[in-house]
Amino acid sequence: MKVTVEFLGVAGLAAGTREVTLELAEGTTFRQIVRRLSERYPDLVGRVIAEDRETMFGSNILNRNGKTVIRDELLDTCPQDGDKLFIMAILAGG
Amino acid sequence: MYGYSGRILHIDLTERKTWSEDKPEEWYKLYIGGVSMAARLLWENIEVGCDPLSPGNPICIAGGIFAGTPVPVGGKHGMASKSPLTGFIGDSLSGSWFSLALKRARWDGVVIHGQSDSWVNVFIDDDRVQFRDATKLLGLNTYETEEAIRDELGDDQVRSATIGPAGENLVLFANVTNDGRQAGRTGHGAVWGSKKLKALSIRGTHGVTVADPETLMKLSYDITQAAQGPHTAKYRIYGTATSVLKMDRMGLLPTRNFREGTFEHADLVSGEYMHEHNHVKTIACAQCPIACEQMCSVKDGPYAGAMTGIDYECLFANGPNCGISDIRTVIKLVDLCDRGGMDAMTNGVTVSWAMESFERGVFTKEDFKCKKYPEGFEPYFGNGEAAVTLTEMIRDREGIGDLLSKGTRLASRITDEERGTESYKWAMNIKGLENAGYDARALKTFALGLAVGTRGGCHNRSAAYDPDITGETDRFTVDETRGRVAGRSEEYAAVYDTLPLCKFIRRCFTGKADRAGAWPAIAKLINATTGWDFGYDEVDLIGVRAHTIKKAFNIREGWTRADDHLPYRWQHDPMTKGASAGYVVTDEELEYMKDLYYEYKGWTKEGLIPKSKLIELGMDDVAEEIGV
Repeated sequence: MKVTVEFLGVAGLAAGTREVTLELAEGTTFRQIVRRLSERYPDLVGRVIAEDRETMFGSNILNRNGKTVIRDELLDTCPQDGDKLFIMAILAGG
Repeated sequence: MYGYSGRILHIDLTERKTWSEDKPEEWYKLYIGGVSMAARLLWENIEVGCDPLSPGNPICIAGGIFAGTPVPVGGKHGMASKSPLTGFIGDSLSGSWFSLALKRARWDGVVIHGQSDSWVNVFIDDDRVQFRDATKLLGLNTYETEEAIRDELGDDQVRSATIGPAGENLVLFANVTNDGRQAGRTGHGAVWGSKKLKALSIRGTHGVTVADPETLMKLSYDITQAAQGPHTAKYRIYGTATSVLKMDRMGLLPTRNFREGTFEHADLVSGEYMHEHNHVKTIACAQCPIACEQMCSVKDGPYAGAMTGIDYECLFANGPNCGISDIRTVIKLVDLCDRGGMDAMTNGVTVSWAMESFERGVFTKEDFKCKKYPEGFEPYFGNGEAAVTLTEMIRDREGIGDLLSKGTRLASRITDEERGTESYKWAMNIKGLENAGYDARALKTFALGLAVGTRGGCHNRSAAYDPDITGETDRFTVDETRGRVAGRSEEYAAVYDTLPLCKFIRRCFTGKADRAGAWPAIAKLINATTGWDFGYDEVDLIGVRAHTIKKAFNIREGWTRADDHLPYRWQHDPMTKGASAGYVVTDEELEYMKDLYYEYKGWTKEGLIPKSKLIELGMDDVAEEIGV
């Protein structure tokens, strides 16, 4: 199963890349994806991903296909093949 | 009294006289400052039912409780007058050095009455007020005006709020600029122009006395440290323009006059792209450790030399919403608005309305004749030069620019009456104020927040986009929680708008943007400043009262439940592309949510406020006038 992760805004700076495609075993959860991203891009931790390396930091969210926010209670659910995930900080104003 | 002078300055432009009004401490505890105090001053001083551009509509400015203190992001002030765009309350916030000068001149607020018979620059020099001839300032843009006043007075510590040519010309969405910041929305600049008030300048030389300086310093230091940490990096690095791609990916980025929520060239007008290609420097308001404003310039092409701060809202409106994919054109458009003294958000949404009207045949090339293009031009979506020309025409009220200078509600009404068209169906405003950069067809809680908002299509007064976007609510559906969520979110925002504190600080108290952590911390700041004994509940009531006085103002000006509406398009035309395709807010959904909202607020089904509710809030005199 493949999912693509797009890092938007400061997440892209911290990751040093804008997008990555992950090869995942069936049954991989979002929590495991966040953990994998923490390992692969350690600068995300403390800025975008929380110190527990499983949840999102501050106003950052993990969004699936632009429609569903993977809040903490959904972290143990699984993506589907071809999903596009977005990591983004929510901000407004200006 | 600590933190305040206890004095409001009244200036009568008709009679050219001034007087000072003392307010009791209890009054300050109710209305605090910023938009709440400005709205209360407007409530007290307006001629009810007046034409917004008549002498009876005062300009009310209220300082901030923390302006001039070490409290970070507290250097702001509020402004209120009856909006010429909406006919309801127009309340705006601005910030930076002007706010500090007001505090240091020892005035908590300023009320400007009447109408001058010649152009004037009012100069508040601590306790003295001068009415200075402003004839020679006419035609200068906002920045030039500020500079010319400093030169004339020979003091670079004088801070001025000014209008540009758009305000002079009574463009209904003209704004007021100080220190490169704007009291941007609802058309204050036109009200200033109607009074022939070109500028208000202030020199303040006093210190600010607070109750417990040592505690205030310590609290402020801690918050300042947090404000320079990871919670605000998003503002510091890219600014709010970084929202372009996020909104695009969620299908919420208004594109081509809100027809769609995704823009095929979003990457080319993103904050990230601009940071790489156009960013010059990052600047901060006075008293702000965050620094969010990204100054961007155009280095080549026909608009080379244009430079201004670019935020998300002005970017969406003049970029994707006009189908414009060249960031240099967007910078030029925003620069034109900032120098001309116009609300760039309303400008972009109004230009996009004209573009759609042209593409639908409501207007033809002939309608766009002007000095620059005597044969007319074709403002189809994506035509950047047409947008630039239209913006100049609006500023100068030249040709069709005169119609567009009235904003989309009036422009569509006039057009439809004259031509038998239905352009109101794509006039994207609420209560006459053009919408912000969130497509609310698939942000249903926010749609309610916008519909019931006291000043119209505004993202700053309702924060209900937040629960929708963060997944706290299901943004595609409605349920029985939405009245409470929308109501709580506007009251939450109103606390920040009243102190005022910039909302970008909101995660710096505990890491969460909620009441639980912030209100106790804000209470400590208030108490150290004033010597009062505020706690969580008193801070929470600040927002309730702020919103209530604005709502009361609207009711007194004739508001009815039908005024809490959404644009026709959001209720009838679903988007066809992107993650939010297929949704509208139906009448049933909207009316259901309005019922829930009024119920949460403790109002009647018609949205009126019971006397008992107003008395409970300490607003007895308001209860007498509009309570039911």
